[in-house]
Amino acid sequence: MKYHILFGLLSAELGLLATLHLQSAPSAERLQSELADKRALVSKLGLTDLALWTEARYTRHPSQADRFAAFQDFPSSIEHFPAGSIIAPPEPLRMPVEAGSAPSRHRAP
Amino acid sequence: MGSYHLGRHLKILEFALSSMLRRRTKNLGLVLVFAALVFLLSSIVFLTGALRTEALATLEASPQLLVQRAMAGRHALIPLDYGELIARLPGVGSVTPRYWGYYYDIYTGANYTLLGIGDQGLESPGSTPLRLVEGSFIMPGQRRVCLIGEGVARVRGTRIGGMVSLRDARGWMQEYEVIGLFASPSRLLTNDLILLPEADLKAHFGMPDDRATDLMVEVYNPHEVDNISRKILERLPDARPISHAEIQRTYETLFNWRGGLLLAMFLGAMAAFMILAWDKATGLSADERREIGILKAIGWETSDILELKLWEGAALALVAFLAGVTAGYAHVQRFGSELLMPVLEGWSTLFPAIDLAPQLDPYALGVLFSLTVVPYIVATVVPSWKAAITDPDRVMRAS
Amino acid sequence: MSREMITLENVTRVYNQGRPNEVRPVDEVSLDIGHGEILVLKGPSGSGKTSLLALIGCMIRPTSGRILVAGRDVAKLPERFLTGVRRDTFGFVFQQLHLIPGISVLENVMLPLYPLEIGFTAAKRRALELIEQLGLAHRKGFKVEALSGGERQRVAIARALINAPQAILADEPTAHLDAGLSGELMQIFETLRGQGKTVVIATHDPLVHDSPLIDRVATMRDGRILDGDG
Ligand SMILES: Nc1ncnc2c1ncn2[C@@H]1O[C@H](COP(=O)(O)OP(=O)(O)O)[C@@H](O)[C@H]1O
Ligand SMILES: [Mg+2]
Repeated sequence: MKYHILFGLLSAELGLLATLHLQSAPSAERLQSELADKRALVSKLGLTDLALWTEARYTRHPSQADRFAAFQDFPSSIEHFPAGSIIAPPEPLRMPVEAGSAPSRHRAP
Repeated sequence: MGSYHLGRHLKILEFALSSMLRRRTKNLGLVLVFAALVFLLSSIVFLTGALRTEALATLEASPQLLVQRAMAGRHALIPLDYGELIARLPGVGSVTPRYWGYYYDIYTGANYTLLGIGDQGLESPGSTPLRLVEGSFIMPGQRRVCLIGEGVARVRGTRIGGMVSLRDARGWMQEYEVIGLFASPSRLLTNDLILLPEADLKAHFGMPDDRATDLMVEVYNPHEVDNISRKILERLPDARPISHAEIQRTYETLFNWRGGLLLAMFLGAMAAFMILAWDKATGLSADERREIGILKAIGWETSDILELKLWEGAALALVAFLAGVTAGYAHVQRFGSELLMPVLEGWSTLFPAIDLAPQLDPYALGVLFSLTVVPYIVATVVPSWKAAITDPDRVMRAS
Repeated sequence: MSREMITLENVTRVYNQGRPNEVRPVDEVSLDIGHGEILVLKGPSGSGKTSLLALIGCMIRPTSGRILVAGRDVAKLPERFLTGVRRDTFGFVFQQLHLIPGISVLENVMLPLYPLEIGFTAAKRRALELIEQLGLAHRKGFKVEALSGGERQRVAIARALINAPQAILADEPTAHLDAGLSGELMQIFETLRGQGKTVVIATHDPLVHDSPLIDRVATMRDGRILDGDG
């Protein structure tokens, strides 16, 4: 029966996915202890961002980018950096700040 | 009755499979294209999901509140006086200045992040021993030494005991002995980092004594952070507070579904998929149309034919979807998302290898499923429906 | 209630009514078809044989008139019920056969049973019986395009018989057969009649309508039945 083959194939695929998934489980414990170590490092050094893209300030420290980063690298300007097309412009440019309110980038509701 | 019913559906499924096997090459091609697209999409989903989890989990320990100063629309060095003023606000614990900046290395074409650590930081109470450091850490009072991230060590070809020379603000080359390395598991945080004693960093950048890059503010009650931000702004209008929650939200949006990284890479792949589905939806071949007529004439009802097409679409889409998702999972888990790296990296000279465990996020997979499998099945069934509602006697005349 | 199996009363089918290209392939036809007889609809091409066959077999509805199948007027039944009546009562052998290429003889024969509430094994058993009866046992796994014309014709008949219909409707069944095979085909039809089935054949082939095996001939011209018993 061909549908047995289909169901077999689908189960095999699911099984493979599950196996792959289970294989990351034993490392979960290691990851957990690593996480504690990473947090210790973050707190010791006062880190704020992932060291992914190093080409510009606003890509290296997206959370620290000033509100004018987008003027320096305006969203519709010709991109300097490939990562610039991956990182969205800072939120104030998308969410107008009310006059007199805290220019905090994300205000608590 | 139940089993009979099952039998009916299984028979239609059986014929759907027979039918697909006849167009083996075409269907195999479809499975491959479909699976390749799902592979790409799911790799992106798995990678961004893992990055988001990693960022949110590790940066959980980032400072509660940072205060920067903006001048002429740019980040400027902040006077230490500001810190004294902030420290006097009720609810504020300690205020620690941070010293850091960027360094462009003309020899390697890479940007480093230079970070200073002061005696205050080195002696901070409750700090656990740093296990992610190979070699030794900076001792209070120690000068002209540094710890470097994996990426820096790689492009500089340096190891513990080696030297890193950096051109300072006056144009003089300064040498720092590498006494420690940030270990690989921390590379997503430390890849481009050069950690110097605070005094060395200030001298290197030529920073005035009364200024810091920004201020790290300890707030006793985490719920008070926004309140304290507001108070800081009232007293220091040119200050710019950045709360811990904002840092978290930055990474949530950066790696979230609707924006940033995912969307940028997703759109292209989605467009390709839509073309595939569109082609399928508009291209019911003469053969297929004829077969639908025959089935109709030998007593199949319109609903039976739709079920047949549903099975055809579902069988192909499910096999391809699962293959794509499994391959995408393996890609992120086993192969460090290698195929995505060129896109992700951009021109970054120091992009870290990403070695994270992907997660099977049911929400993300559900969205992926409904963006690929569902439209494909619809695109298979809808055109057949038009063919299936024609009169059965057409077959009696068709040649 | 008639004793007849199928009764047509003043059945007319009009296409493109009221327009300049109006055609009446079947015009005021009345016809009784009894149980277990072989009826031949004879006539030149375009005289309306295929259309009449489609009406008898509930493939299309009459524009006017009544069609009684086992005493029940089917002309106004909704689509689903009509399909049901057609499936339970008739087996069609199309002029072009319309077998599905690329799948086996067995699968082709089983095809009408797929959407029915009958288990796969039972369906297969029934198909194999018919294949055997029609002398195709050695071909059951072949793809239909690998068969000869006569073998294909028999596959089409097996498929028409799989629902155990009371009547077989065949449209120009000898069109692609030589004299020898046509004779064999008539033998098959006679066997079916022997099993109590009604056979209606539309043809203009003298080998069929002059065959001694048939019971009755109705001659058609321009959508009307000329003689026989209208
Ligand atoms: N769906 C249709 N639309 C228009 N004309 C039709 C249709 N079906 C049949 N006809 C016409 O009806 C006439 C009778 O056709 P048909 O029943 O096939 O005759 P036969 O089978 O005796 O050759 C032909 O002139 C044909 O063109
Ligand atoms: Mg005809």
